[in-house]
Amino acid sequence: MGTAAAPLPRIRAASHHRLRRTILDFLGWGMSAIAFLLLGGAMVWILAVVVMRGYHALSLTVITHVTEGYGGGLLNAIEGTLILAFGGLILSAPLGLAAGIYLAEFDRGRLAPVIRFLADVLVGVPSIVIGYFCYVTLVERLGWKFSVAAGSVALAIISLPYICRTSEMALRQVPRALREGAYALGARDSRVVLGICVPTALPGILTGVLLALAISVGETAPLIYTADWSNYLWTGHLTKEPIGYLTYAIWAFITEPFASAHALAYAAAFFVTLFVLLISIASRMVLVERPGWRRPWTR
Amino acid sequence: MGATSDAETICPTGKTISSEPQGPLPATAAKISVRHLNFFYSRRQVLYDIGLDIPEKKITALIGPSGCGKSTFLRTLNRMFETVPYTRVEGEVKLDGEDIFGMSVVDLRRRVGMVFQKSNPFPKSIFDNVAFGARVNGLKNRDKLREVVETSLRRAALWDEVKDSLRKSAYSLSGGQQQRLCIARALAVDPEVILLDEPCSALDPIATAKIEDLLFDLVGSCTIIIVTHNMQQAARVADQTGFFLLGRLIEFDKTEVMFKNPSRKETEDYISGRFG
Repeated sequence: MGTAAAPLPRIRAASHHRLRRTILDFLGWGMSAIAFLLLGGAMVWILAVVVMRGYHALSLTVITHVTEGYGGGLLNAIEGTLILAFGGLILSAPLGLAAGIYLAEFDRGRLAPVIRFLADVLVGVPSIVIGYFCYVTLVERLGWKFSVAAGSVALAIISLPYICRTSEMALRQVPRALREGAYALGARDSRVVLGICVPTALPGILTGVLLALAISVGETAPLIYTADWSNYLWTGHLTKEPIGYLTYAIWAFITEPFASAHALAYAAAFFVTLFVLLISIASRMVLVERPGWRRPWTR
Repeated sequence: MGATSDAETICPTGKTISSEPQGPLPATAAKISVRHLNFFYSRRQVLYDIGLDIPEKKITALIGPSGCGKSTFLRTLNRMFETVPYTRVEGEVKLDGEDIFGMSVVDLRRRVGMVFQKSNPFPKSIFDNVAFGARVNGLKNRDKLREVVETSLRRAALWDEVKDSLRKSAYSLSGGQQQRLCIARALAVDPEVILLDEPCSALDPIATAKIEDLLFDLVGSCTIIIVTHNMQQAARVADQTGFFLLGRLIEFDKTEVMFKNPSRKETEDYISGRFG
């Protein structure tokens, strides 16, 4: 015991320190606000223009009729966009997931760093280059002509690296303890990966797939080379039949000197934005966890 | 090779220690017998010349300070170390006289189950957690699965607490219940040996007591090896106790001998709390 403890000296910041802190605080908040306004403002502006201009063009005919010259509706384009995007996804999702599983789970091979590097390079390749590549190889060389098949393959090549890398990341988040638990029960690699790791990582994997879908819906350049455009609904042929899509309507019709063409372009922009928005909302909902199923290792 | 031949190491107190001498195989049936086991992480040797016989249908405890190699030793018994790259073993481990490094790792792990330090239920329902082990064994019949799940949960003394919520997430259980769920999951494979790696280190005394009671129930049907930091736990539950220090097995004997009359100075120092 001995002497009673002296009261602790109260620490008071010197006034110039307080002033400096106030200024830094103000600057920090100010810059954050400016950044938010730039991003949020741009977003709101785009949405406002698309909705206001597209709104005039929106009517029931837009979704019930196909394009006729520079008028009519966009049914063919809406249908084409969905077909091409899902066609691309059917090709890229299994392949991308398989590559992601390889990278995350079987990293010991020499191939893994090569695949990872190539995936990163593929993300950086301009989409128009991929479009041209598909034009030369698929449309011309293989004689598929402008078609659903060629367009889907082009979109699949573009989405592949996203699905691959997000799957890899999601699988890497699966804690080691779960894998060990499964291996300790005598499970084989396939059952550990497909029975434990993939289900656990599924929200992350789905987010990557939805991101790829959103990118596919918004792509233009690769489709110009591979799908061309069509005023008619799809008849079900995979090759030798061009198909319409929304981004073409935006790209081609906005430069035409007709008010009806402009209206269609804005309506198409409205639909593309709507689809991407819906996909984003869906991917957020995938990540929201069911109550009572909270994963203890996330935050 | 040089590291293996000199069987002596300097312990933290500055004295020279050596591994327990390894006699020939005993006449009594040992479930697992280990001879001259060396273990390496990359170039670093962490186990030196381990030799012991784990008696069948008994509880064997492994004690020792952190980093002494007891968990590593446990992980060699079901070859779990193989999931970590750059590991290597030398020596002999036999399960019922059969070389474990010669058998398929899948078969080995089905015979030698494991429960980990931190409970690691899968993000599935309580039912599916337990059924996973049975499904790994190839069981598909729904009624049979239900039966195995119930039996395993009963054996793990968890059935009465969860029988009405089998479809709920395993994460809705408390820490102690989750650990018993992991034991039930291991039991669903019907293993001959169960390895427990500090299963109670994250549990409160009541949950710990439940797990210890459970071990007494299980030992009639399987061989149990438990690694523990808690010497009282070893004294309470184990028939045999092994003391590890700096990668060597210093002493391995009946628990009461180890705690009352250890033959080695290091064991006595550790048990009486002089270091560790």
